[in-house]
Amino acid sequence: MVQHDRKRRFELLALPHLDAAFNLARWLAGNTADAEDVVQEAYLRAYRYFDAWQGGNFRVWLLTIVRNSFFTWAKENRSSRLVFHAETPAGDFPETETTWGMPPRDPEALLMQRIDSQTLSRLMERLPTEYREVLLLREVEDLAYKEIAEVTGVPIGTVMSRLARARLALRKLWFGEVEAEAGNAV
Amino acid sequence: MQCDRARRLLPQLIDSALGPLHGLMVTRHVTHCAACSAHLEELQSMQAAIRSNLPYHRAPPGLAARIGAMLPREDVPTPSRSWLRMPAFAFGGSGLAGALAGVALTLLVVGGGRSSGDAVVQSVIGDHVRSMMADHLTDVLTSDQHTVKPWLSARLDVSPAVRDLKDDGFPLIGGRLDYVDGHPAAAVVYRHAKHIINLFAWASPGKPDTGFRHETHQGFNIVTWRSGGITYYAVSDVEAEQLAEFAKLVAAT
Repeated sequence: MVQHDRKRRFELLALPHLDAAFNLARWLAGNTADAEDVVQEAYLRAYRYFDAWQGGNFRVWLLTIVRNSFFTWAKENRSSRLVFHAETPAGDFPETETTWGMPPRDPEALLMQRIDSQTLSRLMERLPTEYREVLLLREVEDLAYKEIAEVTGVPIGTVMSRLARARLALRKLWFGEVEAEAGNAV
Repeated sequence: MQCDRARRLLPQLIDSALGPLHGLMVTRHVTHCAACSAHLEELQSMQAAIRSNLPYHRAPPGLAARIGAMLPREDVPTPSRSWLRMPAFAFGGSGLAGALAGVALTLLVVGGGRSSGDAVVQSVIGDHVRSMMADHLTDVLTSDQHTVKPWLSARLDVSPAVRDLKDDGFPLIGGRLDYVDGHPAAAVVYRHAKHIINLFAWASPGKPDTGFRHETHQGFNIVTWRSGGITYYAVSDVEAEQLAEFAKLVAAT
Protein backbone atom coordinates (compact mmCIF):
# COMPACT_ATOMS: atom_id res chain seq x y z
CA MET A 1 0.00 0.00 0.00
CA VAL A 2 2.84 2.36 0.82
CA GLN A 3 4.40 1.68 -2.56
CA HIS A 4 1.02 2.14 -4.21
CA ASP A 5 0.53 5.56 -2.63
CA ARG A 6 4.05 6.62 -3.45
CA LYS A 7 3.57 5.83 -7.09
CA ARG A 8 0.22 7.53 -7.27
CA ARG A 9 1.56 10.59 -5.51
CA PHE A 10 4.50 10.70 -7.88
CA GLU A 11 2.27 10.36 -10.93
CA LEU A 12 -0.05 13.10 -9.76
CA LEU A 13 2.89 15.42 -9.26
CA ALA A 14 5.04 14.46 -12.20
CA LEU A 15 2.72 13.60 -15.08
CA PRO A 16 1.16 17.08 -15.35
CA HIS A 17 4.66 18.33 -16.23
CA LEU A 18 5.17 15.77 -18.95
CA ASP A 19 4.70 18.28 -21.75
CA ALA A 20 7.25 20.63 -20.18
CA ALA A 21 9.69 17.76 -19.66
CA PHE A 22 9.23 16.52 -23.19
CA ASN A 23 9.52 19.95 -24.77
CA LEU A 24 12.82 20.58 -22.99
CA ALA A 25 14.15 17.13 -23.87
CA ARG A 26 13.03 17.53 -27.47
CA TRP A 27 14.82 20.84 -27.85
CA LEU A 28 17.94 19.47 -26.25
CA ALA A 29 18.02 16.13 -28.04
CA GLY A 30 16.76 17.40 -31.38
CA ASN A 31 14.35 14.61 -32.24
CA THR A 32 11.30 12.87 -30.83
CA ALA A 33 12.69 9.37 -30.39
CA ASP A 34 15.72 10.48 -28.38
CA ALA A 35 13.62 12.94 -26.40
CA GLU A 36 11.29 10.11 -25.39
CA ASP A 37 14.23 8.04 -24.18
CA VAL A 38 15.54 10.96 -22.20
CA VAL A 39 12.16 11.71 -20.63
CA GLN A 40 11.51 8.08 -19.70
CA GLU A 41 14.92 7.82 -18.11
CA ALA A 42 14.34 11.11 -16.30
CA TYR A 43 10.98 9.99 -14.90
CA LEU A 44 12.48 6.73 -13.75
CA ARG A 45 15.26 8.61 -12.01
CA ALA A 46 12.87 11.15 -10.53
CA TYR A 47 10.74 8.31 -9.18
CA ARG A 48 13.79 6.64 -7.69
CA TYR A 49 14.89 9.86 -5.99
CA PHE A 50 11.38 11.07 -5.23
CA ASP A 51 12.07 10.89 -1.51
CA ALA A 52 14.93 13.34 -1.96
CA TRP A 53 12.59 16.00 -3.32
CA GLN A 54 12.51 18.69 -0.65
CA GLY A 55 9.06 20.00 -1.41
CA GLY A 56 10.13 23.01 -3.47
CA ASN A 57 8.95 23.72 -6.99
CA PHE A 58 8.37 20.26 -8.42
CA ARG A 59 8.61 21.38 -12.04
CA VAL A 60 12.04 22.91 -11.41
CA TRP A 61 13.17 19.74 -9.68
CA LEU A 62 11.87 17.57 -12.50
CA LEU A 63 13.37 19.75 -15.25
CA THR A 64 16.73 19.52 -13.48
CA ILE A 65 16.53 15.76 -13.75
CA VAL A 66 15.41 15.90 -17.37
CA ARG A 67 18.31 18.19 -18.19
CA ASN A 68 20.85 16.00 -16.41
CA SER A 69 19.40 12.89 -18.00
CA PHE A 70 19.91 14.49 -21.38
CA PHE A 71 23.56 15.22 -20.71
CA THR A 72 24.15 11.71 -19.39
CA TRP A 73 22.41 10.28 -22.41
CA ALA A 74 24.33 12.52 -24.80
CA LYS A 75 27.63 11.52 -23.23
CA GLU A 76 26.84 7.83 -23.37
CA ASN A 77 25.75 8.11 -26.97
CA ARG A 78 28.60 10.44 -27.86
CA SER A 79 25.98 12.69 -29.31
CA SER A 80 27.03 15.61 -31.44
CA ARG A 81 24.34 17.52 -29.57
CA LEU A 82 26.67 17.68 -26.65
CA VAL A 83 28.25 20.96 -27.62
CA PHE A 84 29.84 22.64 -24.69
CA HIS A 85 30.77 26.24 -24.81
CA ALA A 86 34.46 25.51 -25.10
CA GLU A 87 33.79 23.74 -28.38
CA THR A 88 31.72 26.55 -29.77
CA PRO A 89 33.42 28.13 -32.76
CA ALA A 90 34.85 31.34 -31.37
CA GLY A 91 34.17 33.25 -34.57
CA ASP A 92 30.45 32.59 -34.38
CA PHE A 93 29.79 33.46 -30.80
CA PRO A 94 32.64 35.44 -29.30
CA GLU A 95 32.78 35.06 -25.58
CA THR A 96 33.94 38.60 -24.99
CA GLU A 97 31.16 40.37 -26.82
CA THR A 98 28.70 41.54 -24.26
CA THR A 99 27.09 44.56 -25.83
CA TRP A 100 24.66 44.62 -28.67
CA GLY A 101 26.86 46.75 -30.84
CA MET A 102 25.59 49.34 -33.29
CA PRO A 103 21.89 49.77 -33.81
CA PRO A 104 20.86 48.19 -37.11
CA ARG A 105 20.41 50.37 -40.18
CA ASP A 106 16.75 49.56 -40.46
CA PRO A 107 15.63 48.63 -36.97
CA GLU A 108 12.08 47.83 -38.07
CA ALA A 109 13.22 45.15 -40.48
CA LEU A 110 15.25 43.51 -37.80
CA LEU A 111 12.61 43.26 -35.14
CA MET A 112 12.06 39.60 -34.56
CA GLN A 113 8.31 39.79 -34.12
CA ARG A 114 7.84 38.80 -37.73
CA ILE A 115 10.02 35.72 -37.56
CA ASP A 116 8.08 32.62 -38.50
CA SER A 117 8.26 29.60 -36.27
CA GLN A 118 10.11 27.48 -38.82
CA THR A 119 12.93 29.98 -39.15
CA LEU A 120 13.04 30.51 -35.42
CA SER A 121 13.29 26.74 -34.86
CA ARG A 122 16.12 26.48 -37.34
CA LEU A 123 18.03 29.32 -35.67
CA MET A 124 17.46 27.85 -32.21
CA GLU A 125 18.80 24.52 -33.43
CA ARG A 126 21.99 26.24 -34.50
CA LEU A 127 22.64 27.66 -31.05
CA PRO A 128 24.96 25.78 -28.72
CA THR A 129 23.05 23.54 -26.34
CA GLU A 130 23.77 25.66 -23.30
CA TYR A 131 22.39 28.77 -25.00
CA ARG A 132 19.31 26.97 -26.26
CA GLU A 133 18.71 25.58 -22.81
CA VAL A 134 18.76 28.92 -20.96
CA LEU A 135 16.51 30.53 -23.57
CA LEU A 136 14.00 27.71 -23.23
CA LEU A 137 14.02 27.77 -19.46
CA ARG A 138 13.60 31.54 -19.42
CA GLU A 139 11.15 32.20 -22.23
CA VAL A 140 9.20 28.98 -22.53
CA GLU A 141 9.22 27.68 -18.97
CA ASP A 142 9.24 31.23 -17.60
CA LEU A 143 11.72 30.32 -14.87
CA ALA A 144 13.44 32.97 -12.77
CA TYR A 145 17.24 33.33 -12.92
CA LYS A 146 17.51 31.54 -9.61
CA GLU A 147 15.49 28.59 -10.88
CA ILE A 148 17.49 28.42 -14.10
CA ALA A 149 20.62 28.37 -11.94
CA GLU A 150 19.15 25.43 -10.05
CA VAL A 151 18.30 23.49 -13.20
CA THR A 152 21.60 24.11 -14.96
CA GLY A 153 23.76 23.89 -11.84
CA VAL A 154 25.63 27.18 -12.35
CA PRO A 155 25.66 30.43 -10.33
CA ILE A 156 23.04 33.10 -11.05
CA GLY A 157 25.70 35.41 -12.48
CA THR A 158 26.58 32.76 -15.03
CA VAL A 159 22.93 32.33 -15.91
CA MET A 160 22.63 36.04 -16.60
CA SER A 161 25.72 36.29 -18.74
CA ARG A 162 24.89 33.08 -20.59
CA LEU A 163 21.40 34.34 -21.27
CA ALA A 164 22.81 37.64 -22.55
CA ARG A 165 25.19 35.77 -24.86
CA ALA A 166 22.42 33.46 -26.00
CA ARG A 167 20.25 36.40 -26.99
CA LEU A 168 23.16 38.06 -28.70
CA ALA A 169 23.92 34.89 -30.63
CA LEU A 170 20.31 34.43 -31.68
CA ARG A 171 20.15 38.05 -32.76
CA LYS A 172 23.27 37.55 -34.84
CA LEU A 173 21.83 34.52 -36.56
CA TRP A 174 18.63 36.42 -37.23
CA PHE A 175 20.52 39.37 -38.71
CA GLY A 176 22.38 36.96 -40.95
CA GLU A 177 19.03 35.61 -42.05
CA VAL A 178 17.66 39.06 -42.81
CA GLU A 179 20.78 40.04 -44.72
CA ALA A 180 20.74 36.85 -46.74
CA GLU A 181 17.14 37.52 -47.64
CA ALA A 182 17.95 41.09 -48.61
CA GLY A 183 20.83 39.77 -50.71
CA ASN A 184 18.56 37.35 -52.51
CA ALA A 185 16.04 40.05 -53.17
CA VAL A 186 18.55 42.27 -54.98
CA MET B 1 21.60 56.78 -15.22
CA GLN B 2 24.28 56.22 -17.85
CA CYS B 3 23.64 54.23 -21.03
CA ASP B 4 26.23 51.61 -20.09
CA ARG B 5 24.52 50.85 -16.84
CA ALA B 6 21.03 50.92 -18.36
CA ARG B 7 22.08 48.50 -21.11
CA ARG B 8 23.32 46.03 -18.57
CA LEU B 9 20.02 46.19 -16.72
CA LEU B 10 17.72 45.93 -19.74
CA PRO B 11 17.69 42.12 -19.80
CA GLN B 12 16.76 42.07 -16.14
CA LEU B 13 13.99 44.52 -16.91
CA ILE B 14 12.42 42.25 -19.53
CA ASP B 15 13.01 39.23 -17.30
CA SER B 16 11.13 40.84 -14.41
CA ALA B 17 14.25 40.51 -12.32
CA LEU B 18 14.77 44.15 -11.38
CA GLY B 19 13.64 45.58 -8.08
CA PRO B 20 11.14 48.46 -8.23
CA LEU B 21 13.77 51.15 -7.71
CA HIS B 22 16.13 49.98 -10.45
CA GLY B 23 13.16 49.23 -12.66
CA LEU B 24 11.99 52.80 -12.34
CA MET B 25 15.46 54.20 -13.01
CA VAL B 26 15.94 52.11 -16.14
CA THR B 27 12.46 52.89 -17.42
CA ARG B 28 13.04 56.60 -16.92
CA HIS B 29 16.37 56.45 -18.73
CA VAL B 30 14.82 54.61 -21.64
CA THR B 31 12.10 57.21 -22.13
CA HIS B 32 14.80 59.83 -22.65
CA CYS B 33 17.31 57.78 -24.63
CA ALA B 34 16.46 56.71 -28.16
CA ALA B 35 19.38 54.30 -28.47
CA CYS B 36 18.55 52.43 -25.28
CA SER B 37 14.90 52.50 -26.18
CA ALA B 38 15.59 50.83 -29.54
CA HIS B 39 17.66 48.30 -27.69
CA LEU B 40 14.89 47.51 -25.29
CA GLU B 41 12.47 47.16 -28.15
CA GLU B 42 14.74 44.61 -29.80
CA LEU B 43 15.05 42.60 -26.65
CA GLN B 44 11.32 42.65 -26.15
CA SER B 45 10.63 41.68 -29.73
CA MET B 46 12.97 38.69 -29.42
CA GLN B 47 11.33 37.66 -26.19
CA ALA B 48 7.89 37.97 -27.73
CA ALA B 49 9.00 36.04 -30.81
CA ILE B 50 10.33 33.11 -28.80
CA ARG B 51 7.32 33.08 -26.54
CA SER B 52 4.76 33.10 -29.29
CA ASN B 53 6.48 31.53 -32.30
CA LEU B 54 8.79 28.85 -30.97
CA PRO B 55 7.12 25.47 -31.52
CA TYR B 56 6.14 23.72 -28.32
CA HIS B 57 6.65 19.99 -28.54
CA ARG B 58 3.97 18.25 -26.55
CA ALA B 59 4.62 14.76 -25.24
CA PRO B 60 3.58 12.17 -27.80
CA PRO B 61 0.39 10.22 -27.13
CA GLY B 62 1.07 7.21 -25.03
CA LEU B 63 4.23 8.47 -23.36
CA ALA B 64 2.40 9.10 -20.08
CA ALA B 65 1.02 5.58 -20.20
CA ARG B 66 4.41 4.08 -21.03
CA ILE B 67 5.98 5.90 -18.12
CA GLY B 68 3.15 4.79 -15.85
CA ALA B 69 3.73 1.21 -16.93
CA MET B 70 7.47 1.51 -16.45
CA LEU B 71 7.45 2.77 -12.88
CA PRO B 72 7.67 -0.15 -10.50
CA ARG B 73 4.64 -0.84 -8.39
CA GLU B 74 4.98 -4.01 -6.40
CA ASP B 75 1.55 -4.22 -4.87
CA VAL B 76 -0.56 -4.44 -7.99
CA PRO B 77 -1.85 -7.95 -8.61
CA THR B 78 -0.47 -9.53 -11.76
CA PRO B 79 -3.70 -9.66 -13.79
CA SER B 80 -3.99 -5.92 -13.93
CA ARG B 81 -0.38 -5.53 -15.00
CA SER B 82 -0.12 -8.09 -17.74
CA TRP B 83 -2.36 -6.21 -20.13
CA LEU B 84 0.01 -3.30 -20.08
CA ARG B 85 2.28 -5.31 -22.31
CA MET B 86 -0.51 -6.12 -24.68
CA PRO B 87 -0.13 -4.69 -28.16
CA ALA B 88 -3.47 -2.94 -27.82
CA PHE B 89 -1.80 -0.63 -25.41
CA ALA B 90 0.64 0.65 -27.96
CA PHE B 91 -2.05 2.76 -29.50
CA GLY B 92 -0.88 4.86 -32.37
CA GLY B 93 -0.54 8.54 -32.91
CA SER B 94 -3.94 10.05 -33.09
CA GLY B 95 -4.13 13.74 -32.45
CA LEU B 96 -6.68 13.38 -29.71
CA ALA B 97 -4.59 11.57 -27.18
CA GLY B 98 -2.97 13.87 -24.75
CA ALA B 99 -0.04 13.47 -22.49
CA LEU B 100 -2.23 13.70 -19.49
CA ALA B 101 -5.40 15.04 -18.13
CA GLY B 102 -5.40 18.48 -16.66
CA VAL B 103 -4.71 17.40 -13.17
CA ALA B 104 -5.05 20.43 -11.01
CA LEU B 105 -2.23 20.20 -8.56
CA THR B 106 -3.81 22.58 -6.14
CA LEU B 107 -6.50 20.01 -5.52
CA LEU B 108 -3.88 17.77 -3.99
CA VAL B 109 -3.54 20.21 -1.19
CA VAL B 110 -7.18 20.84 -0.48
CA GLY B 111 -8.16 17.20 -0.46
CA GLY B 112 -8.67 17.10 3.28
CA GLY B 113 -12.07 18.42 4.23
CA ARG B 114 -15.45 17.10 3.13
CA SER B 115 -16.93 19.45 0.65
CA SER B 116 -20.45 20.28 -0.32
CA GLY B 117 -22.12 18.99 -3.45
CA ASP B 118 -21.72 22.38 -5.09
CA ALA B 119 -17.95 22.27 -4.76
CA VAL B 120 -17.97 18.85 -6.40
CA VAL B 121 -20.10 20.17 -9.23
CA GLN B 122 -17.71 23.10 -9.73
CA SER B 123 -14.81 20.70 -9.67
CA VAL B 124 -16.23 18.31 -12.27
CA ILE B 125 -17.19 21.19 -14.54
CA GLY B 126 -13.67 22.56 -14.25
CA ASP B 127 -12.21 19.17 -15.08
CA HIS B 128 -14.62 18.72 -17.96
CA VAL B 129 -13.61 22.07 -19.46
CA ARG B 130 -9.90 21.44 -18.95
CA SER B 131 -10.20 18.02 -20.50
CA MET B 132 -11.48 19.54 -23.72
CA MET B 133 -8.59 21.92 -24.09
CA ALA B 134 -6.19 20.74 -26.72
CA ASP B 135 -4.62 17.34 -26.15
CA HIS B 136 -5.88 16.81 -22.66
CA LEU B 137 -8.85 14.61 -23.20
CA THR B 138 -7.53 11.12 -22.78
CA ASP B 139 -4.56 9.23 -21.40
CA VAL B 140 -5.66 6.05 -23.00
CA LEU B 141 -7.29 6.53 -26.38
CA THR B 142 -9.32 3.59 -27.50
CA SER B 143 -12.88 2.60 -28.09
CA ASP B 144 -12.12 -0.80 -26.62
CA GLN B 145 -13.83 -1.06 -23.24
CA HIS B 146 -11.60 -4.04 -22.41
CA THR B 147 -8.60 -1.74 -22.55
CA VAL B 148 -10.03 1.30 -20.80
CA LYS B 149 -11.45 -0.52 -17.81
CA PRO B 150 -8.29 -2.37 -16.74
CA TRP B 151 -6.20 0.71 -17.49
CA LEU B 152 -8.26 2.66 -15.00
CA SER B 153 -8.55 -0.04 -12.37
CA ALA B 154 -4.79 -0.59 -12.45
CA ARG B 155 -4.37 3.01 -11.41
CA LEU B 156 -7.27 3.69 -9.12
CA ASP B 157 -9.11 2.00 -6.32
CA VAL B 158 -12.28 1.94 -8.37
CA SER B 159 -13.35 -0.13 -11.29
CA PRO B 160 -16.09 1.96 -12.86
CA ALA B 161 -18.58 0.74 -15.40
CA VAL B 162 -17.05 1.12 -18.85
CA ARG B 163 -18.99 0.10 -21.92
CA ASP B 164 -18.87 1.19 -25.50
CA LEU B 165 -22.30 2.64 -26.13
CA LYS B 166 -21.67 3.26 -29.80
CA ASP B 167 -24.84 1.47 -30.86
CA ASP B 168 -26.80 3.80 -28.63
CA GLY B 169 -25.12 6.87 -30.09
CA PHE B 170 -22.47 7.35 -27.41
CA PRO B 171 -19.16 5.97 -28.72
CA LEU B 172 -16.43 5.40 -26.15
CA ILE B 173 -13.31 7.49 -26.81
CA GLY B 174 -10.99 6.65 -23.97
CA GLY B 175 -10.16 7.22 -20.37
CA ARG B 176 -7.87 9.23 -18.22
CA LEU B 177 -6.86 9.79 -14.63
CA ASP B 178 -8.25 12.85 -13.00
CA TYR B 179 -8.48 14.44 -9.63
CA VAL B 180 -11.89 15.67 -8.59
CA ASP B 181 -12.47 17.57 -5.41
CA GLY B 182 -9.77 15.74 -3.55
CA HIS B 183 -10.47 12.29 -4.99
CA PRO B 184 -8.36 10.46 -7.49
CA ALA B 185 -11.00 9.80 -10.10
CA ALA B 186 -11.49 7.89 -13.28
CA ALA B 187 -12.71 9.92 -16.22
CA VAL B 188 -14.26 7.87 -18.97
CA VAL B 189 -14.73 9.87 -22.13
CA TYR B 190 -17.63 9.42 -24.53
CA ARG B 191 -18.87 11.34 -27.49
CA HIS B 192 -22.36 12.17 -28.64
CA ALA B 193 -22.40 13.76 -32.09
CA LYS B 194 -19.84 16.55 -31.67
CA HIS B 195 -20.22 16.76 -27.91
CA ILE B 196 -17.88 15.29 -25.38
CA ILE B 197 -19.19 13.59 -22.28
CA ASN B 198 -16.90 13.15 -19.33
CA LEU B 199 -18.02 10.44 -16.94
CA PHE B 200 -16.21 10.89 -13.64
CA ALA B 201 -16.17 8.05 -11.16
CA TRP B 202 -14.60 7.65 -7.75
CA ALA B 203 -14.86 5.29 -4.85
CA SER B 204 -17.34 6.03 -2.08
CA PRO B 205 -17.09 2.85 -0.07
CA GLY B 206 -19.99 2.02 2.21
CA LYS B 207 -22.27 4.77 0.92
CA PRO B 208 -25.79 3.83 -0.16
CA ASP B 209 -26.87 3.80 -3.79
CA THR B 210 -28.84 6.84 -4.96
CA GLY B 211 -31.04 7.63 -7.93
CA PHE B 212 -30.16 10.09 -10.67
CA ARG B 213 -29.91 13.74 -9.78
CA HIS B 214 -29.97 16.26 -12.62
CA GLU B 215 -28.39 19.68 -12.50
CA THR B 216 -27.48 22.49 -14.84
CA HIS B 217 -24.53 24.75 -14.13
CA GLN B 218 -22.71 27.25 -16.32
CA GLY B 219 -24.29 25.81 -19.43
CA PHE B 220 -23.33 22.24 -18.63
CA ASN B 221 -25.70 19.46 -17.79
CA ILE B 222 -24.78 17.13 -15.02
CA VAL B 223 -26.24 13.83 -13.92
CA THR B 224 -24.99 12.26 -10.75
CA TRP B 225 -25.75 8.99 -9.01
CA ARG B 226 -24.13 6.42 -6.79
CA SER B 227 -24.09 2.74 -7.42
CA GLY B 228 -22.11 -0.11 -5.91
CA GLY B 229 -19.95 2.18 -3.77
CA ILE B 230 -18.95 4.34 -6.75
CA THR B 231 -20.02 7.96 -7.25
CA TYR B 232 -20.65 8.93 -10.86
CA TYR B 233 -20.83 12.39 -12.39
CA ALA B 234 -21.66 12.72 -16.07
CA VAL B 235 -20.86 16.19 -17.40
CA SER B 236 -21.49 17.51 -20.85
CA ASP B 237 -23.01 20.20 -22.97
CA VAL B 238 -25.35 17.72 -24.65
CA GLU B 239 -28.99 18.28 -23.94
CA ALA B 240 -30.32 17.27 -20.57
CA GLU B 241 -32.55 14.52 -21.96
CA GLN B 242 -29.72 12.93 -23.88
CA LEU B 243 -27.44 13.04 -20.89
CA ALA B 244 -30.21 11.44 -18.82
CA GLU B 245 -30.46 8.69 -21.40
CA PHE B 246 -26.69 8.26 -21.34
CA ALA B 247 -26.68 7.98 -17.55
CA LYS B 248 -29.37 5.31 -17.69
CA LEU B 249 -27.38 3.32 -20.22
CA VAL B 250 -24.20 3.51 -18.12
CA ALA B 251 -26.03 2.63 -14.91
CA ALA B 252 -27.61 -0.36 -16.64
CA THR B 253 -24.22 -1.91 -17.38
